[in-house]
Amino acid sequence: MLEVKGLSKRLPTGKTILNDISFRVDKGEFVALLGASGAGKSMTMRAIAGLTSVTAGEVVFSGESGKCYTTITASGKTSGKDLRRARRNIGVIFQGSNLVKRLPVLDNVMIGRLGRIHPLRSWLYGFTDQEASEAMAALERVGMAGFASRRTGSLSGGEVQRVAIARAIFQRPLLYLADEPVSSLDPKNAEAIMQLMQPLAREHPILGAFHQPGMVMHYCTRVIALHKGSIIYNGAPNLSAKQLDEIYCGQADRPEATQELTAAAES
Amino acid sequence: MTWSEFSFERYRRYLPAAAIFIVAVAASAYLSEVSLTDLRRGILKGLSLLTLFFPPDWSACKDMLQPALVTLVICLVATPIGAAFSIVFGLAAARNIAPEWLRLTARTVIAVERGLPEIVILLVLVAAFGLGPFAGVMALAIGSIGMLGKLLADAIEEIDPRVLDAVAAVGATPWQVIRHAVLPEVLPALVANSIFRFEVNVRASVLLGAVGAGGIGYELDAAINQLEYSRATMAVLMILLLVFLSERASDWVRSKVL
Ligand SMILES: Nc1ncnc2c1ncn2[C@@H]1O[C@H](COP(=O)(O)OP(=O)(O)O)[C@@H](O)[C@H]1O
Ligand SMILES: [Mg+2]
Repeated sequence: MLEVKGLSKRLPTGKTILNDISFRVDKGEFVALLGASGAGKSMTMRAIAGLTSVTAGEVVFSGESGKCYTTITASGKTSGKDLRRARRNIGVIFQGSNLVKRLPVLDNVMIGRLGRIHPLRSWLYGFTDQEASEAMAALERVGMAGFASRRTGSLSGGEVQRVAIARAIFQRPLLYLADEPVSSLDPKNAEAIMQLMQPLAREHPILGAFHQPGMVMHYCTRVIALHKGSIIYNGAPNLSAKQLDEIYCGQADRPEATQELTAAAES
Repeated sequence: MTWSEFSFERYRRYLPAAAIFIVAVAASAYLSEVSLTDLRRGILKGLSLLTLFFPPDWSACKDMLQPALVTLVICLVATPIGAAFSIVFGLAAARNIAPEWLRLTARTVIAVERGLPEIVILLVLVAAFGLGPFAGVMALAIGSIGMLGKLLADAIEEIDPRVLDAVAAVGATPWQVIRHAVLPEVLPALVANSIFRFEVNVRASVLLGAVGAGGIGYELDAAINQLEYSRATMAVLMILLLVFLSERASDWVRSKVL
């Protein structure tokens, strides 16, 4: 379960990037963040992962054991050990995936465990056989086992995205964040990645940013729509053409549009 | 574009600069007492001396082998030491790794080091450690840190910040980010730069040898001082061979790493 409470981010220039964002993501959910470019999807996820500072808000999440983790407390950004302890429980799949290009594929997957092993052991690259075989299993799951020793920089976009997912799986997190995992892919590869993520979400919830409403309706369990840093919709994934228009065409500037959208979602 | 535009007018703004350049060259030729008669005399003297250098003294070849080896060993030891220390300076001087105060300190040290010719470093070290290969090794190692450290710091600053964020996001410590993301991305470049630096060091060590670091440079200097010109030619041939071989070797290694 992930709980985001009153997340706000304002720049010193006065520009509002996130405006009082609050939502929950529960077990078994595959939640899609929709919104035009610049709406604040990436910033929301960076904030949840503790990768950016915010003006106000709180982020709390917990797993089955009930133990709570936080990346952003009411008093500000957590730091050091606590932040790392929280981060190792969040599997982040970044926009463009951001793997270390010069490392072999398997080494990139291994990076997923860095937060859980002793720093000294990781410095000596002392991964155990058990860990190596788990990493291979993660690659197997995304259909990339045959690429384990390939240099990551030589992979195609779809392959890189799969490796990024394998890294997140190997990390054994309590939830996944996926920033536009399929945006740079052709439709067939995009479909394949969504099919990979759907069963993952049943194990641990996924919060992902997408630009493909059709696929979102098919694979996701809920949609949260952002517009200029505010949530304008939080509900069922089967949006009407009119609702999509409002999410993407900026008409939702008017407060009544927000009400319209929410009403439409509830009916 | 018409032809009338493509004309002298376009270059008009360079005229003042060209005028200043010509005046400056003339003035400095006058101040440094360059004269064409001196030039002619020098060339003639050089040519007559040149005959003394030939043929090379082939029998000196075996005397030169050991000094050449010393020069080679000086570089083979100095370059990796310099490269190893440049990692420390490279990390400390990279904006995306080091805090501002450390970065500025490291960049300043690197800039000062780069400003000092190896020969100055060597003279200081010779004063401290005495003549010999050890001072040479130290001078070349220190001399390598500046260039390698700066190139490394620049390479580190060019790493996509999102790659580093992605590793930090799994809960890695800053040192783990360095070990598993920063170093893998820049080490091949460091190795390639070090090999290039090795070539530079081979050349520099000849000069340093003449000043007191020993090796083949010392042999050359000694031969000229004793007016044994054909022996000096042999030393020059040995140096050419050394430089040529180190270039070949470094090209070969570089093609393997990159
Ligand atoms: N480093 C930054 N500094 C200032 N503004 C930023 C920065 N990163 C993003 N922004 C701004 O924050 C807003 C939200 O960006 P982002 O979260 O990347 O949008 P999305 O992912 O929805 O396309 C945009 O208006 C963008 O210009
Ligand atoms: Mg984005």
